[in-house]
Amino acid sequence: MHATEFKRRAFLAGFSAISATALLTACGGPAATGTPADGGTPVDGGNITFLIQGYDTGWVSSKTSISSYEGNLWGQLTDKLVYVDANGALSPWVAESWEELNGAKDFVIHLKDGVTFSDGTPLDAAAVVANLQAWAKGDPERGISKVGLFPASNYVGAEAADAKTVKVSFSSPALGFIATLAYHGCILLSPETLALPAEAQADLSQEIGSGPFVLKSWKQGDSYVLAKRPDYNWGPAALGHTGPARLDTITYKVIKDTSVRTSTVASGQADVAFNVEPQEIEALKAAGFTVGTPKYLGFVDGFQVNTQAFPTNDVSVRQAIQHGIDREEIRSTVYTPDWDAATTFIQGNVPEAGDYSSSFAFDPDKAGKLLDDAGWKTGSDGYRTKDGKTLEFPLTPNPYVPSTKAEDELIAQQLKRIGIKVTLKVVDVAGYAAIQASRPPLFQTSRSFVDVGTVAGVLTSQNKGEDWFNVGTSDTRLNELSAAVASASDRASREKVTGELQQYVLEQGYFIPLNQLVQRLYLISPKVRDVQYNGLAYANFYTAWIAK
Amino acid sequence: MSADLTFARLRSAGAASLRTRTILPPTVALSFLVLLIVVLWSLVPGVFTSFSPVTGETAAKLAAPSAQHWFGTDYLGRDQYARVVHGTASSVTSALVAVIIGLVVGSAIGLASGFRGGWVDTTLGRFVDVLLAIPGFLLAVVIVSSLGFQTINAAIATGVSAVAVFARLMRAEVIRVRRAAFVEASYLQGGNRLQALLGHVLPNAYRPVLVLAVLQFGTSILVIASLAFLGYGDPPPASDWGLLVASGKTYPTAPWLVYAPALVIVATVLAVNRISRWLRSTR
Amino acid sequence: MTNTYGRFALVRTGQAVVVVLLAYILTFLVISVLPGDAITNSLRDPQHGLSEADIQRIVAYYGLDQPVLVQLVLSLGRFLTGQLGFSLQSNLPVAQLVGDALPSTLTLAFTAFVIALVFAVAIAYGAHYAPGRWAGVLRSIPSFFLSVPNFVIGLVLIELFAFRLHSFTTTDPNSAAATLFAAITLAIPVSAPLAEVLLASLDHESRQDYAQVARSRGLTEAALFARHLVKPSALPSVAMIALIVGELLGGSVITETIFGRDGIGTVVQKAVTGEDQPVLQAVVAISAVVFVAVNLAADLLTPLLDPRVKINETVDA
Repeated sequence: MHATEFKRRAFLAGFSAISATALLTACGGPAATGTPADGGTPVDGGNITFLIQGYDTGWVSSKTSISSYEGNLWGQLTDKLVYVDANGALSPWVAESWEELNGAKDFVIHLKDGVTFSDGTPLDAAAVVANLQAWAKGDPERGISKVGLFPASNYVGAEAADAKTVKVSFSSPALGFIATLAYHGCILLSPETLALPAEAQADLSQEIGSGPFVLKSWKQGDSYVLAKRPDYNWGPAALGHTGPARLDTITYKVIKDTSVRTSTVASGQADVAFNVEPQEIEALKAAGFTVGTPKYLGFVDGFQVNTQAFPTNDVSVRQAIQHGIDREEIRSTVYTPDWDAATTFIQGNVPEAGDYSSSFAFDPDKAGKLLDDAGWKTGSDGYRTKDGKTLEFPLTPNPYVPSTKAEDELIAQQLKRIGIKVTLKVVDVAGYAAIQASRPPLFQTSRSFVDVGTVAGVLTSQNKGEDWFNVGTSDTRLNELSAAVASASDRASREKVTGELQQYVLEQGYFIPLNQLVQRLYLISPKVRDVQYNGLAYANFYTAWIAK
Repeated sequence: MSADLTFARLRSAGAASLRTRTILPPTVALSFLVLLIVVLWSLVPGVFTSFSPVTGETAAKLAAPSAQHWFGTDYLGRDQYARVVHGTASSVTSALVAVIIGLVVGSAIGLASGFRGGWVDTTLGRFVDVLLAIPGFLLAVVIVSSLGFQTINAAIATGVSAVAVFARLMRAEVIRVRRAAFVEASYLQGGNRLQALLGHVLPNAYRPVLVLAVLQFGTSILVIASLAFLGYGDPPPASDWGLLVASGKTYPTAPWLVYAPALVIVATVLAVNRISRWLRSTR
Repeated sequence: MTNTYGRFALVRTGQAVVVVLLAYILTFLVISVLPGDAITNSLRDPQHGLSEADIQRIVAYYGLDQPVLVQLVLSLGRFLTGQLGFSLQSNLPVAQLVGDALPSTLTLAFTAFVIALVFAVAIAYGAHYAPGRWAGVLRSIPSFFLSVPNFVIGLVLIELFAFRLHSFTTTDPNSAAATLFAAITLAIPVSAPLAEVLLASLDHESRQDYAQVARSRGLTEAALFARHLVKPSALPSVAMIALIVGELLGGSVITETIFGRDGIGTVVQKAVTGEDQPVLQAVVAISAVVFVAVNLAADLLTPLLDPRVKINETVDA
């Protein structure tokens, strides 16, 4: 039945043949529709193996940013207060309902009854207060940082009104607070876990959550076996399933090599592979596999620009890069039609995202002119110089998104055409943190958020912000706009000022967007059905089942 | 040194021996041909391909081998054959650099060690023992990680890890020749040590050292390719053979991206090894 | 004899210890070429979740604020007392990291060694006794084995046996089947020089008088091979064992990476990319100890295996 598809590319034979065998053995013929999410009655039981790049870091849950790899595992082991779907819509989870009071300065959260951690202790208001405290403040004494995107600067405190009710207050409006509760950094852990020292928290077996799966066995950095929790009955209503998970176990297995992950699933030796090469997707789909390319809420694939480093301290250079990159060529070469063009530096499914694509439209002539006018002269080797310095900078592909290696190589070619020399520096996840710390001219980012208000927290150094562009508080316009976004008290006015912020950041060349990001990519065997994705593009296996 | 020069010298050197008076064995001739092509690829890559190794036609990405693209095209639509040809210079030259480092430093140590004997020999001997005690590839990895991930550093690292074998061999040869009667004789006739060294030891020792150098050249190509494969060489768009294999394997639907450069590595090293074996047998 | 041998053993052992110490110092100096702040940079990475106090403790432990020579003395002193320090990446004791990885690598290396031996004997025996044309083919195998990069062998074996023939699964790299194929990858380049040496000494020995005599007595070639030749021919191979150990340890970096095995090789790779100097230092030191120990054992055994080898020749430094 797949024969005609195989002929589409002569050399596809390699693993299509394998895939075909896998298909036949796995589903025995006509059942394989290629879109496993539909059709069939869910059955309980079964085990799946999930292949992922790596777990090299410890398991301290509260940190500036949670890696994609950890997030995948946390999502099965823990619950959150609020669920967010792919369109950014919020719905109840452990929080049954909530109230926004006093101009979004006070909140009341009503908890679901009967929720317990896997050690049997209740997930009550006191536990939620302990979690809120950890997310907002961390504990510098113990070397535990706050959760990066949590609105901490205006956070006043939380208290348990009764066993099922939590009151949270802020000193200024916090429109993004409820949405942040659905972020994968805000996972509910038992108060006992949160009280442990950092070393103990790094031990996954001491991390007690309330999720549909519990840790059964593990070997750090290698494999993690999760087993279903039989008494689980408080999944998000939005997922359309009650009771415990359907799968018996999920084994997360580390396989660093992207091609081995792909081929292992393609040959039927495992069920799900995380982050496969986008250019392989078409062939895999043709062979009957499901490829999940969920949209996430957050920043698009692109670069934070260091405005203090050579050569991006020159606004003309930043703008020239902005107009010198042919994003369409990247999209059609490195990616597939599943990827969308960016219209701004935040993902299209964020409600506040506007269309500012003209401020970074591909226009090499304009880019060249910008550089000419700024005094960058083209030398005999084709690269521009000014005051004896060559217009060059290094670029480090984002190891969390393997396809960025090919992407950055292409960008280097494109920028060469306008006389900018780009050298690639390839590092792994551990090395990437060091690159970030060294503040290169361009740093490739992939950051998710749930509420656009959090954007204001990363652009400048105001309120201990992350200061992505290294401007500190020197750009008064950026300060004003960020502050206005952070402190807006109603959504309409916030949307307007967020638009101005996007326009300004793009025009200044502070952020160089590429395309909308598919940060998390899942290659799924045809027999695994009903995998769901939340608004942060994490696969949820609570509803998943295996077709016989 | 170019291959033909080596070729000519080796032929004249072997002319006296019985085996090479007959014609060159066909596999050896083929090996020299392969080596000649590789040398030309690294010296004048532009003659062999009109495609750019750095920029390609992105619309034609991941195309299978064809009359136009012998090794197919890669993930950015670049001609893989052009990538291989243009990657030859750094893949092969760096192996040559490695051999030269090993040869020069190793031979110097071996000569000094074998000729002077005594405390010089003991000290240098310990140093060589130390180099030998660290597994070669591990030593290369440690050195390259310390110097920085660049192909030239990979070459230096490979060269350093080859110093010990050259030193050992040269020392053994020097001792062997030194003990030979004719050296003793020239020594007794009032020649000084340096003359004896230049006059007798070098001409006699060069043959086995050359054989080792050729063999080591093949090994170095493999070691440098392995370092590049691990990502310890120049980053893309450089196209060292090992790097081509590593980046090609990301695309299982385009197996030619792996097999073409892999076959080129195998063919080159096989040719070098064959020549080394032939040199040994014509001793 | 025993007295001479005792003295010989003592001198050899002393030399071995000196070599290990010098190897440690050499490695330390090579690694210290790295800019010193690489360590503290990596420590300050927020992913580690280390507090400033932790960082100060680590800096003091390694003497990072002191000159290289002081660091060397500190480091060497700890090595001599059996302390290998802590990983900068994971903060775990290096001894634990290496200890966890060692069994896997030893299993792989030992299996590879056995396979290499089997290959080598098969090739040498075949090449020595096979008629004409076949002998030529067999004789060229070692050269071919030496020409294929380790990573290519690995990739081909995985593609063929894991993905096509399903002989093993990549998700369970420590299974017997997966270990076997990883070991074959590692064994192929190791078997080549072994086969060449075996073959050369087989050729040499069979021309010796005692072999001729035995042949004239009507012994079959196979019996001759077994009875007379294996022992003397094995001698140069014993001396090669030490070299082979080095090959196996070095080759494990590539093989383990390709097969996704956790072992010393992957520890090295992580340490290199993460600039984890204490781990690199420890692994090199341990390799040197293993290498020197095996070498020493081979040296000490040689005079016992073959009385023809004079001890004073081996002592010759």
